Amino acid sequence: MAGQIPILRIGSTLLVSIQIELRDAVAEAFQADVLSEIERRGTTGLVVDISGLDMVDTYVARILAETGRMAKLMGTSTVLVGMRPEVAATLVRMGYDMAGVRTALDLDDGLALLGHVVPNRLADR
Amino acid sequence: MDHRKYMSILNLDEAEIASRRVFFALTDEDLARLASLRPLAEKITDAIVEDFYGLLLSHPETRKFFPDEPTIRRVKRAQREYFIGLFAGRCDSAYVEDRLRVGAAHERIGMPPKWYLGAYRQYLELLHRRLYAEIKDPAEAGAAFTSVKRIVFFDVALAIDTYIAANLEALGRHQAAIRELSTPVIRVYDRVLLLPLVGAVDSHRAHQIMESVLLNVVETQARCIIIDIAGVPVVDTRVADHLLKTTAAVRLLGAQTVLTGITAQVARTVVQLGVDVSSMHTVSRLSDGIELALGMVGKTIASKGA
Repeated sequence: MAGQIPILRIGSTLLVSIQIELRDAVAEAFQADVLSEIERRGTTGLVVDISGLDMVDTYVARILAETGRMAKLMGTSTVLVGMRPEVAATLVRMGYDMAGVRTALDLDDGLALLGHVVPNRLADR
Repeated sequence: MDHRKYMSILNLDEAEIASRRVFFALTDEDLARLASLRPLAEKITDAIVEDFYGLLLSHPETRKFFPDEPTIRRVKRAQREYFIGLFAGRCDSAYVEDRLRVGAAHERIGMPPKWYLGAYRQYLELLHRRLYAEIKDPAEAGAAFTSVKRIVFFDVALAIDTYIAANLEALGRHQAAIRELSTPVIRVYDRVLLLPLVGAVDSHRAHQIMESVLLNVVETQARCIIIDIAGVPVVDTRVADHLLKTTAAVRLLGAQTVLTGITAQVARTVVQLGVDVSSMHTVSRLSDGIELALGMVGKTIASKGA
């Protein structure tokens, strides 16, 4: 199942965009892949984009939060970006606020949070 | 509102009418008897209508609905039609629609149901007296009165339903208006939103607030949303919990919440209730909140020419 979710690298940051449903095996492969990628490249940042997910259950939320904590142990800070409003509302109602995970509205904000200089940032529009 | 709308609100189709007729024991036999009583009805109409208005015009509160002679003449004429209508010998969709029209007219002029019901009581008594006086055979008079009673109660139910339908419709409109007014999200500055909350926050509204806040944050790519609770009369554990949930959800999107308008009373209550609001940025005044929010998007408020 490995390699289903592509992991890109920009400078010292890894970029993962989840576009497919994170079923058990896929989720575990995602976690293992990301961690070995961090180990291999010695990156300092990880941006996980979940704007493609219209449903995130507690299992997936746990995997994401867990991956963030694991990455932290390896010296990499994680930012979760692009969560949809309905996903946020559902997670909070289920009592899952993903404490400890940094979040950002979109990729631009996420990269900026990790200290990247994002050209033509729309914030000054 | 148009009485035809009541027909659909009350779902008065053929099946519903048939079902009501069964419950009110209004049989075809009753309708046939009422039709056969029609000549008698026509004979006693004027007397009944006169007596009927005798009551309505004698009571100071009901008198107000009939301010002048032309009105009285008009309503008496309508009443005669209504009365004769009882003896039409049919109870179909057209009959029901006509009855709803009458009910809607009473609702429109603001005649309270109590007078409406009281007037029906008078109707029945007058009819009872007249029927026993005009029909010699007491058994026959009794049967006639039973049939009349059935159709009158059938009518009363329709009238009361009309009142209720009118109120429900008004209530629905008001709720929609309140919903629209309840979560006005204002764009204070680029990527900074403000939601001034006014009035009590129940769980239904809290749900709406969260939905509207989240949608607006994503839509405008807001970094920060200021929620001003100066207009919320009571902030108890439930309200605080709703605010905390909204804050947590906003954070998941990647934005922050600033809570402003916290009065001394609210601060005391929140602490005494032991609610942990450390996950929220809280300030007392809205202006401080705006300054804090602007700071989050990298802006500051500075004096001119400084």
